[in-house]
Amino acid sequence: MPTHSFPINTVSRESLRSAVEGVLAHGGALALMYATDEGGQGYAVNAVCSLPGESGFTTFRAEIPKSDPRYPSLTVNIMAAHWYERQIRDQFGIVPEGHPDLRRLMHHENIPEGTHPLRKEFAWNTKLAQGHVPYPMHAVEGKGVFEIPVGPIHAGIIEPGHFRFNVRGERILALEGKLFFKHKGVEKLVEGKTPEEALPFVERVSGDMVVGHTLAYVQALERARGTTVSKRTEHLRCLYNELERITMHLFDIGNMGGMGTGFTFMAAQGFRMVEMMRRLNETLVGHRFLRGAIMLGGAHDLDQDARAKIRETINRIEKDIKKVLDIAFATDGLLERFETTGVLSKEAARAYGAQGVPARASGVAIDARHDRPYAAYETLNVAVVTEKSGDVAARFRVRVRELAESFRLVREIIADLPHAETATTFSRGSGEALGWAESWRGEVVDFVRLTKEGRIERLVIRDPSFCNWALFGELAPGNIIPDFPLCNKSLNLSYSGNDL
Amino acid sequence: MTLIFSFAQAAFIVLLAPGMVGFVRTLKARFQNRRGAPILLPYWSLLSLFRKEMTITRNSSWIFHAVPFVVFASALTLAFLIPTLGYSGGHLGDIFLVGAIMALGSVFLVFGGMDTASAFGNMGSSREMTLSALVEPALYVSLGTLAIIAGAPNLESILERFSSASALDILPIAALSLFALFLVFLSENARYPVDNPATHLELTMVHEAMVLEYSGAYLALLEYASAIKLTVLFAFLMDLVVPFGIVHLPFTPLTLLVACVALLGKLVLAALLVAFVESTIVKMRFYRMQEFMSLGFIVAFAGLLLALIFGRPL
Repeated sequence: MPTHSFPINTVSRESLRSAVEGVLAHGGALALMYATDEGGQGYAVNAVCSLPGESGFTTFRAEIPKSDPRYPSLTVNIMAAHWYERQIRDQFGIVPEGHPDLRRLMHHENIPEGTHPLRKEFAWNTKLAQGHVPYPMHAVEGKGVFEIPVGPIHAGIIEPGHFRFNVRGERILALEGKLFFKHKGVEKLVEGKTPEEALPFVERVSGDMVVGHTLAYVQALERARGTTVSKRTEHLRCLYNELERITMHLFDIGNMGGMGTGFTFMAAQGFRMVEMMRRLNETLVGHRFLRGAIMLGGAHDLDQDARAKIRETINRIEKDIKKVLDIAFATDGLLERFETTGVLSKEAARAYGAQGVPARASGVAIDARHDRPYAAYETLNVAVVTEKSGDVAARFRVRVRELAESFRLVREIIADLPHAETATTFSRGSGEALGWAESWRGEVVDFVRLTKEGRIERLVIRDPSFCNWALFGELAPGNIIPDFPLCNKSLNLSYSGNDL
Repeated sequence: MTLIFSFAQAAFIVLLAPGMVGFVRTLKARFQNRRGAPILLPYWSLLSLFRKEMTITRNSSWIFHAVPFVVFASALTLAFLIPTLGYSGGHLGDIFLVGAIMALGSVFLVFGGMDTASAFGNMGSSREMTLSALVEPALYVSLGTLAIIAGAPNLESILERFSSASALDILPIAALSLFALFLVFLSENARYPVDNPATHLELTMVHEAMVLEYSGAYLALLEYASAIKLTVLFAFLMDLVVPFGIVHLPFTPLTLLVACVALLGKLVLAALLVAFVESTIVKMRFYRMQEFMSLGFIVAFAGLLLALIFGRPL
């Protein structure tokens, strides 16, 4: 187990921004911002930062009195804070003063003013009155400029999201998304629940990244309670994480090539292999999406037979996907669609705090498995895959190369699985900690605080999609409308993980 | 006699059209190693659409209601005018008339897309107009070239010329024009690499975006119309490429039967071609359409030169 350090520095609300700026000046990044209701006295706004070379997080905590819930905004100088601050304002009513864009984020028109659901006094089952608060969106004016509203209901079977395009001809001038249509209120719902009761909620935050979310969650809780898990559990957790990555990278490769550009053969082949993985998952843990694979203090154990099955499936898929990719990379029409489409510059990726594949495809070398190794990743030496061009082609290549790396990791883990028990008792009691995991989509960061009875007082879940959704406003303008679905597929963000 | 023949010809195409669409879909599925839906599914889809209730937005005018009929009528007229089973000597199918009737259908489809003022309909309509303008030169140049080879500007004479001359005499001269016509027909029928008939992505659609607001019987008419157009155009093209079994007056039941079977065979060939193209190439970026259309035009123009130099009527 690598040693992580989590210093918490209490700062005044006036100096919160300068504290984070100091971290950024040293090459660090803002990883998460969240607020807590501290009961009687006030709120606390927390900025969690990562520093290069340090395998933990530094938290800056500023107390905010309830009588005067304001603090100077971080977004003024730190772009990555923009959505966090808007979210905190919606959740707690804490106003980041000077924020350049203080529209509501999570609350739509129907939520009345003054609704702040994560305040302690707000009951989770409150029936809200019908509100009529405007939800203005970016608009461009001028001759020949048209506005195209898309969604929230789409033709495909996907989740709701509204996209407002401002176009001149086919060229996109501006694009803004409106999300949070099906906000589930997970963070509120789990308050007062035991960690075991809350686990199914966390598993369901985003259907296709079950392992990513549960892993971040259980590791946060185990750290809060000082529970150590066995080497075998650690290896199994990494194994499930990589199996999920393989499944979803296969999906994305097929989806980008097949559905995004109309090169249907790739979709047919990619989805066939995704199905093979899902069936493998089912034989391993009894669930196609790996629910139940990771538990508090443990992981689902696998016998010799199961590992042989994994090896067999992986070998077959590796052979098949190689053939598909050989054809893909030899098809000029496909590469022509991929290259120069949806370019995200490295500066923008950094500024927005992009996570996962989009960040790495733009040359930002971040990967929690390497930067802050958890579970068994320290001994597995994950190679961070980056590309430079930041376009759809780069995101495609990152996935292809990460897939190869995941095959290697899976083989390494099942070849040499340490012998130990896979269940540890998870003790009840108070504590607070951060947990994280690099899911296939990017880094999930969780913060958890337990009451004396060991119930959840506050759980913060940050899905990587939350950081990446705003990237569309950056990478879409300049592209043409018919290329947007391809850009969208190349990011593959979660609606559900965002609308948690 | 000419009239009866034209009716028989049109009826054959109209009956076959949904099957042709289904067959292309099945072939595409097979190319992707999928089993695919049954070939006859489009017939059932049309039937169920005809029975379904229509949802029509209040923000639509009479144009919205007229469009399905005009578009279907234009497709039916094409089935009458374009010789597929054979020629009756009526010299039907003036190339400019056929071009104009195709344009009439397209223009009304564009109106239908714009009438409800939905963003997607307008987007599709704008794209369709761009594409039509780009594709028309190649269409008329290649049809004109065939008319020069045939010595008369109507499709019946062209077919007569192709079926009476030996393939070795005529195909080398006409090959480029036929290829250009193939590119044009891909575009006219909203197939790859111009449009994707199978997509669910509204933002990338052309033809599908224009019919997005239609439902029930109107949608059935529009889908039927596009199936007829696909079938009749590719039937004519394959007739020229493989001029086998083409009947002419006076015909016997036997020659008519042979013609029907031969046309079926040709449609199978056309479906294979379309499915192969759609399974092996990637849909083009919309802003590169003019390159595809320029290719069509240049090929058509080269075909025209070829025909002018070598294509004196024998």
